[in-house]
Amino acid sequence: MADTPIERPGDLTATALTRRRLLINAGVLAGGVMLAGPLAACGTSTPTSTGGTPKRGGNFRLGVTGGGSGDIIDGQKITTKPDQARLVAGFETLLEYDTNYKLQTTGLAESVTQEAPDKWVIRLKQGITFHNGKTLGADDVIYSLRRISDPKQGLFGTAGLASVDPNNITKVDDRTVRLNLKQADSTIGDQLGQYYNGVVPVGYTRAGEQIGTGAYKVQSFTKGQQSVHVRNTSYWRSGLPYFDTVTIIDFPDVAAQVNALLSGQIDAMTDIPAAQISVARSHSNLAILEGQGADWRPLCMAIDMPPFDDNNVRQAFRLMVDRNAMLQQVFSGHGRIANDLYSPFDPAYDGSLPQRHQDIAQAKSLLSKAGKSNLVVDLHTTDGAAGMVDSANIFASQAKLAGVTVNVKNDPNYYGDQYLKLAFSVDFWGTRNFLPQVANGSIPTAPYNECHWPPSSSNYISLYQQALAEPNAGKRADLIHQMQKLEYEQGGYIIPMFNNLVDAYSTKVGGFNNGSKATLNLDSFGHGYRNIYFTS
Amino acid sequence: MLERPGGTGGPARTGGIRMFILRRILQGLLVLVLVSIVVFAATQALPGDPARAILGRGATPASLAALREQLHLNQPVVQQYLTWATGLLHGDAGRSFAAQEPVSKLLGDRLVNTAFLLLCSGLISIPLSILIGSYAALWRDRPFDVVTSLVTLVFAALPEFVVGVALVVLFATTVFHILPAITLIPPGGRPWEQPIAIILPTLTLVLAVTPYVVRIMRASMVEVLESDYVEMARLKGLPERLVLRRHALPNALGPTFQVIAINLAYLAGGVIVVEYIFNYAGIGGALRDAVSNRDLPVVQAIAMIIAGLYVVLNLLADIATILVTPRLRTRL
Repeated sequence: MADTPIERPGDLTATALTRRRLLINAGVLAGGVMLAGPLAACGTSTPTSTGGTPKRGGNFRLGVTGGGSGDIIDGQKITTKPDQARLVAGFETLLEYDTNYKLQTTGLAESVTQEAPDKWVIRLKQGITFHNGKTLGADDVIYSLRRISDPKQGLFGTAGLASVDPNNITKVDDRTVRLNLKQADSTIGDQLGQYYNGVVPVGYTRAGEQIGTGAYKVQSFTKGQQSVHVRNTSYWRSGLPYFDTVTIIDFPDVAAQVNALLSGQIDAMTDIPAAQISVARSHSNLAILEGQGADWRPLCMAIDMPPFDDNNVRQAFRLMVDRNAMLQQVFSGHGRIANDLYSPFDPAYDGSLPQRHQDIAQAKSLLSKAGKSNLVVDLHTTDGAAGMVDSANIFASQAKLAGVTVNVKNDPNYYGDQYLKLAFSVDFWGTRNFLPQVANGSIPTAPYNECHWPPSSSNYISLYQQALAEPNAGKRADLIHQMQKLEYEQGGYIIPMFNNLVDAYSTKVGGFNNGSKATLNLDSFGHGYRNIYFTS
Repeated sequence: MLERPGGTGGPARTGGIRMFILRRILQGLLVLVLVSIVVFAATQALPGDPARAILGRGATPASLAALREQLHLNQPVVQQYLTWATGLLHGDAGRSFAAQEPVSKLLGDRLVNTAFLLLCSGLISIPLSILIGSYAALWRDRPFDVVTSLVTLVFAALPEFVVGVALVVLFATTVFHILPAITLIPPGGRPWEQPIAIILPTLTLVLAVTPYVVRIMRASMVEVLESDYVEMARLKGLPERLVLRRHALPNALGPTFQVIAINLAYLAGGVIVVEYIFNYAGIGGALRDAVSNRDLPVVQAIAMIIAGLYVVLNLLADIATILVTPRLRTRL
């Protein structure tokens, strides 16, 4: 049961992404920002590609953790982790994130331009066809965006594209679309790069034929078991992909998944458990792929509920955490410690704020200042995503040092009526850039604001609105830094760490990027299976 | 639940074997009706709200209300039960909440896969355990008996998942690499199309069931071999082979059939663990998935299938016991 996290729009244990780094890279043009041309990769840490000479053909068998009768294939939605693996085989986005988490025009769009704070223009590449031979055109983009905007569809992208006015998307010509927004929004480019905002043809439905532009088309699909995808012979990226077929198999049990890999029945698997990593490493024909993830499991303190309505208590709790110890114990060290701030891949992430470390003396003094020494609090958690229960228990043991008694309540019905109404709880989030994350979790209109942030006296919301409307990346970063400072000093989240995505694969498969900043497992599934191959 | 043959016995009933079977079938149906009520009540008592489980954290009050309506969760419980039970009688187990398709479509292939696994395990374990048990009794306290006694005790004590994992380590992943670690049945494919892939799951189930049957067969055989009529048969000068085949074996089989039935029915439950270990696409995996999704129609359907299997196996065991036991046959 624990293998299937409860879904939330945009979040799986490994997911969503992004930021408008390209705006920074592309520079600011007069009156707008232009995203064009493949931008030179300029990364701090360069992911390394796994080697070997590509060989054509073969059946790539991938085991994905989780899945069940709730599996779907849809170019714009997932419910289980295998759905992610299936979506990216058949569907592509207008913009794409590279291995350094920068938005690039390597997707279906030749350019995406912010003409004005509330106007965006999308220009498609030429000569891209769908699996059924139909040419990709402006009408398909309009249909795709309208489908995402339709709240009745219940798609992940709906919240992120809330500023798009579905009745005010205009076709400029066969390859050009203009979005006239309801309000200024500089995050549209980010949204267009989210893997779940795939482009589908006019008239597409989930129940109908699965037609996208991706490297592989669906041949068969059985929920909870497996799907087979065959090579798209008229794929627009010439020479790609390499495999004849991709078979995606559901594994509710991770032990069976590891066994299948060890015995050579699958060629790659997602989410190898920490205890099995050394086993896989000891096999000469297996290798580990580790991507930097930015998923997080916050401990959430509601800032308007006692005892957390006193900022001294919130700061004391943040100082009680031994982040390194927690990272070791929860994720066996496969991750990075965090500083109570989310969206570390965002170019506007403020890395200059001092890293918080455990400081029991200071925590005790803050608690006594608040008149809350010898506190007793309940911490609510559930088996919703890996690490949620462990984090709570480890926090409870660390809090003892500061004289605080934390009673962990592991509740299978956590996501029931009490969710978001608790003073102290654990939750989980996927990878997302700062402003889209704020829209989802840190303002009163956000659907999942666990901490009831921000305080009524702060100017956080006004900063958010300014940042959203600010097309200049540098100025926007300044606004975001002010918001992050507010959260760093007064916020309700304890964010101890970000976990990595750790996968395993057979060394006869080449083309994976190791160490990439990834939102999906296995280097975003070899970028829709187009970059990976069997080596000869 | 069981009418133990050869027990204290009531007054002899009339009507012969046909009436007996008819009576047992009617009793079985009654049991199934009672089970259906229990299953329905139990699934209603599962913690959590299915509508919320399906919609996840994205649930809005409006979408929750709409889904509850669609799933008939607003109807009175008795009416929900009657709708469901009537559907079952018409062969309609309802629609899966999670998959949004008929339960029969969801379970059809999986049921075939599980049935085949159970059949293979039964066909191997039953003759094997009767054989081993008989010889152990015959060669009581000799090396064969001592060794089987020890081995069966060990395997009886080990849970299936330990046996299954050990077999995988031994034959698939670590020691030898000769058998597949998991069973991949492509959609639309059948398990018998790839016999190699079902060796390990079958072996696990055989090892789970055989020890019990061996032990009861041995005990039963020992008792029979010490009985007056076997002694009489021997004294009559009948050849030992004939004594065993005509007199000892049939009498020893009676109680064994009951244990076999219970064990095979147990397999239908134990198969859930085994399917999990081998990623075998059967009803066990579907049950696990359905429970975590609060997919009540699927949970109910599988519970009814397993209950039905219990009833059928017990019926068959009773009939078989009657047929091999002249004493009981004549009393009908």
